[in-house]
Amino acid sequence: MILELQLIMLAWGTLVGLDLVSVPQMMIARPIVAGPIAGALLGDLRTGLELGVLFELFQYDILPVGAVRYPEYGPATIAAVSAAHGAAGTLGLGLGALVGLITGMAGGMSLHVVRRLNARAVQRAGPALEAGDPRALEWLHATSILRDAARAAVVTALGLGLAQLAHHYLAGGLPSRSVALLNLAALSAALAAGTAGTLRLVGRGPGLRWFAVGVVGGTVVAWLR
Amino acid sequence: MSEATRPRPPLGRTLLRLFTVQGSWNYERMQGVGMGVAEEPLLRDLRVGGDGGAYRGAVARGAHFFNAHPYLCGLAVGAAARAEHDGVPPEQVERLRTALCGPLGSLGDRLVWAGWLPLTSGLALIGVALGLGLPAILVFLVIYNAGHVALRWWALRAGWRYGARVAVALREPLLQRATALAGPAMALAVGAALPLVAQYLSGVFLGWWRAALAVVAVGGFALLWWGRATLTGLRLGLVLLAVAALAGWLWP
Repeated sequence: MILELQLIMLAWGTLVGLDLVSVPQMMIARPIVAGPIAGALLGDLRTGLELGVLFELFQYDILPVGAVRYPEYGPATIAAVSAAHGAAGTLGLGLGALVGLITGMAGGMSLHVVRRLNARAVQRAGPALEAGDPRALEWLHATSILRDAARAAVVTALGLGLAQLAHHYLAGGLPSRSVALLNLAALSAALAAGTAGTLRLVGRGPGLRWFAVGVVGGTVVAWLR
Repeated sequence: MSEATRPRPPLGRTLLRLFTVQGSWNYERMQGVGMGVAEEPLLRDLRVGGDGGAYRGAVARGAHFFNAHPYLCGLAVGAAARAEHDGVPPEQVERLRTALCGPLGSLGDRLVWAGWLPLTSGLALIGVALGLGLPAILVFLVIYNAGHVALRWWALRAGWRYGARVAVALREPLLQRATALAGPAMALAVGAALPLVAQYLSGVFLGWWRAALAVVAVGGFALLWWGRATLTGLRLGLVLLAVAALAGWLWP
């Protein structure tokens, strides 16, 4: 992939990583958005859509409440699309999922690190904050956002690097049966995670009936198509 | 200060800052610093007259610990700023902020994280699975953010309007109805999306591979459901990919 395209992907991944928690939470961090846009940037919308859908299912497994720790699937989806696109259809979803899940795990860990760094910065600024100094408050906030931007850029760069490694060492080198097995593993895990996560949200109340109605309706439409 | 003589509050500026409310999220004050930054423009009137002590005290209180749903933080920002203008004692403002954390967190989680967001993303999944492609994603962004921005704006205005009596805003019928409808609508949309995306993504599998996909997905679901305390979707995915890689390598 040419350097300019890598830099554009890095910029997109940084925006996506910032959107997750810091600014502005307009959901470009959702895989269903991050993936297709990455695919469009690479001129491979189909791969972007497929991996966006796949990682959106993984995303349903997460409920971001309070201080809970969770993987970050936005930059992960971008790395996954890059990996699957570079493999030119020889490895597809499975390779993308492998690169994306590792990147997602690294993204989750990086969020924890940034939150701890932010906490240290807050402790250092404690006297100024307690004195009600608005400049100290705004400086602390702005530097924290920049810290998160740097984090998002590093995670995206890691993911894009992993994608490059995967092309180099795996693309074209695996038998088709192995490729199919990786695809099957990725898709079945995503479907399992999406279903389990949704059912945890739905609970055992009246929502469960609506969920069942939805599954039946979706199955009928899928069967008729 | 009477209502007639009170200058127009800079709610627009505060709203813009609220979009960054989690920018300095940390384990010490959670959203507190972002809340303080968002509230500060509403407190500038307090500098007029006096030695600025009221302003600085209010800014310091605004940055204390806070944690709630990010889209509803404006309710607490508006209410606390209004209470400061109304001369409510500092300890009462602190209690107001503390009291709002739980309800705003719970309401936002039910309304947005477990309702509006999965509902609209489920509809986007359906759109993509039915072949609508990128337009489905763009419609998702527009519709989701129409609700998102409207909720943030309503929360800030309601907080400023009601001040220390902000609990009244949380009992608004429209909000109650939206919260009640969001859950079932989400369940219906995501329920419908699951079989459609399964079909969309499994197009490359034929014959017994499809049966194997169904068996592994059901098995994975069972593991996630009964092992939910320790097993996550990410771990399941990595384990299955590792097993697949090993099986592919050993298969003669």
